[in-house]
Amino acid sequence: MARRPIYLCMMLIVPLLSAWFFFDLMENGVVERTPVGIVDLDKSDLSRKLTRNLNAMQQVRITKSYHNYADAIDAVQRGEVYGFFFIPSDFSTKALSNKKPTLSYYIDYAYYAPASMQFKGFKTVSVLANAGIVMNVLTTLGMPGEQVSATLQPIVTHVHPLKNPWLSYNYYLSSSFVPCLIALLVMLITTFSIGMEWHAGTSRNWMRTAGNSITLATFTKLFPHSCIFITVGLWIQYMMYVTYGFPLNCNPWNMIIAMVLLVLACQGFALFIVSLVPNFRYSATICTLLGMLSFSFCGFSLPEEAMYSWVSPLGYLMPIKYYFLISADQALNGIDLFYSRYYYVALIVYILIPATMLWKLKKNCIDPFYIP
Amino acid sequence: MPEYKSKYGWIGTVARVFSREFKLVLRDEAVIIFFIVLPAVYPPLYSLIYNTEVARDEPVVVVDESRSTLSREFIRQLDATPDVWVKDYAADMNQARDMMARKQCYGIYYFPADFENKVYEGSQGHVTLYCDMSVMMRYKAMLTALTNVQMHMGSEIQGDKSAHVIDLGGGFVESKQVPLGNTSMGIASAVLPFILVFVIQQSLLLGIAMLHAGGMGRRRRNKGHDHLQIKATPGALLIGKTLCYLVIYIIPSIFTLYIIPLIFHFPINGNFMEIMYMLIPFLISSAMFGLVMRVFVNNREGVFLVIAFTSLIFVFLAGVSWPEYLTPFYWKALAQVIPGYWASSAYVRMQVDGASLSQVSNMYWALWILAALWFVIAYLTEVMVLRRKYKAMQLECDIDPTALQKRTLYQQGDDDMLNPELLDDDEEEE
Repeated sequence: MARRPIYLCMMLIVPLLSAWFFFDLMENGVVERTPVGIVDLDKSDLSRKLTRNLNAMQQVRITKSYHNYADAIDAVQRGEVYGFFFIPSDFSTKALSNKKPTLSYYIDYAYYAPASMQFKGFKTVSVLANAGIVMNVLTTLGMPGEQVSATLQPIVTHVHPLKNPWLSYNYYLSSSFVPCLIALLVMLITTFSIGMEWHAGTSRNWMRTAGNSITLATFTKLFPHSCIFITVGLWIQYMMYVTYGFPLNCNPWNMIIAMVLLVLACQGFALFIVSLVPNFRYSATICTLLGMLSFSFCGFSLPEEAMYSWVSPLGYLMPIKYYFLISADQALNGIDLFYSRYYYVALIVYILIPATMLWKLKKNCIDPFYIP
Repeated sequence: MPEYKSKYGWIGTVARVFSREFKLVLRDEAVIIFFIVLPAVYPPLYSLIYNTEVARDEPVVVVDESRSTLSREFIRQLDATPDVWVKDYAADMNQARDMMARKQCYGIYYFPADFENKVYEGSQGHVTLYCDMSVMMRYKAMLTALTNVQMHMGSEIQGDKSAHVIDLGGGFVESKQVPLGNTSMGIASAVLPFILVFVIQQSLLLGIAMLHAGGMGRRRRNKGHDHLQIKATPGALLIGKTLCYLVIYIIPSIFTLYIIPLIFHFPINGNFMEIMYMLIPFLISSAMFGLVMRVFVNNREGVFLVIAFTSLIFVFLAGVSWPEYLTPFYWKALAQVIPGYWASSAYVRMQVDGASLSQVSNMYWALWILAALWFVIAYLTEVMVLRRKYKAMQLECDIDPTALQKRTLYQQGDDDMLNPELLDDDEEEE
């Protein structure tokens, strides 16, 4: 293995660099100050006040003002801004005479995260605009102050995004994507290292070196990989929880053990596939395809309960799903270890599962299966 | 060995390279898989996973200490929203937290005992949402439901209370949201258009690297010579190959960028022909990019490992999850040399937002500039790296004819076995 620099590169440099890439890219954490435009056809004191309020919002930043709707749409299509706020020409006259003018906000939903942020900013400003006028009217009519705010907003809401009150994208996305990338690399390297024995026609030799014991052969082959990957995995956890300050609300050992089990489970998973499908080409394809798709079907972005009912169970085929659930339970939510017990068990099962198929691998190594 | 000279001059050489490359593609099963099968299979799989677009009916529980008409009405309206599903009532917060830990629900709505009284007393009633943050879309759904019901009920109560002073009935100013481009506001229509473009770029890179690795395999077995490669000048070679890929990719491109959105109901607001025009510089620059990147690949198995993880990083660099305006400048600089970065942006603006080619002309021209840039670099690598490497291989074989095979065996960790007929590098793939 050491003679092929590509392996070492894939096992050390690639995971560490990619992890750093994700952490660094989203270090800001929160999507804010989305560039937006404004179309103010009213040009009154009221509309100018609205514009100022909008600019004070953390979610958006007015980069340009447009003279009409067509210019603004053109700017969205060109990519100058991600959306715009539209104030109609009769806004202040209508508002002050109780004729209910409509403020509209146009949001480009081709860009998901900026769109959500714009919605929040635009909606808040519109609601505040209404509140401002109502408050004025009610105070003029002589309603006492506290009653005004109660009339304005009879029901108040409090939202507690548990353990991630900053709504950091980094904490949410990197903590699932980076381990998933490690899982993909572990599965690929495992498949390739065994597959290459067939491919190069050295599998018989490999068995002979291990005294014809398949357990010894696979153990000695994969154990050095495990050590390297576990070291890399723990290093990445260190970067996450210490350097970049991701939430770690549990005993650190819970996550360390989860990472060790993840690496071993992915090796077990790949070994199982290789034993089951003794064709290098097919087993490598299966591992890569599942590894790449697990970014999607394990429910990191679209939650599993929202997928088609036949897609979401697929996630539970992959070891990374259990690591993800552990990291949500333990590192993020910090709940009792008791609730995550099955996920740890599942990872252990993946480590043991190839034992059932090793006889087949042995047969295939001694009597290689050729695909022309 | 003399270089190939066509009697039709330079054009003839290009044509010769073109037809030979075509044959090389056709005889290589692995390359066919990357050029044709991958763009045909991967996008539908991806689309199916995300096709539900939005998180609907997220399971939540309610802790209602108010037990009043008003709180029940609030809960009924929550349940009626498309976003959440009130799965159960919990006796208290402890029970609710336990249900959340068991993943029976992902959010808790809490109504304090004085909820209704406060509202009717003329002060404000409070509702609290606790929500699991492991997946952002759940939070978004629960928040949307809460805000909508709060506003709706708020204006009803407002109307009742202020009726004696003035008719407020919902307030003075109304507001409405107009989604542009992706009118379903779903995740598939937002993410997939980017991914589709990268599927084309990455499959092209994979195939080119695979063809090159195949050539290197032949050189290793054949004393540094590739008998299937036309001996053309570097320029003619690169252009001939690129034209070949361009022709092969017409059908996969149309399928991926047009038929897939049609099947899965992603936005199709672009002009078909204009998107095709944009694809020409995109495919040329991707092919040239691939013809540079292939120098890093000597073995066919290496190809696969490299492409798998770069795909993910390229897609992120294009701004699919994390917006471009918050990307640090060095990552942005890196992104700008990747053809897919400009092409995905242009494609999304045209196909989703309905822009015309002239509106995305800066991206279109950036692709042509990249095509030129990568052509120059590919030319230099062909002359200064690859041809020198081939020469070195040939020289080495003049001294020891088995030198290259020995090295292969050494790398495979096999010191005692020399079994050249098993060393067929063509036998492999993804």
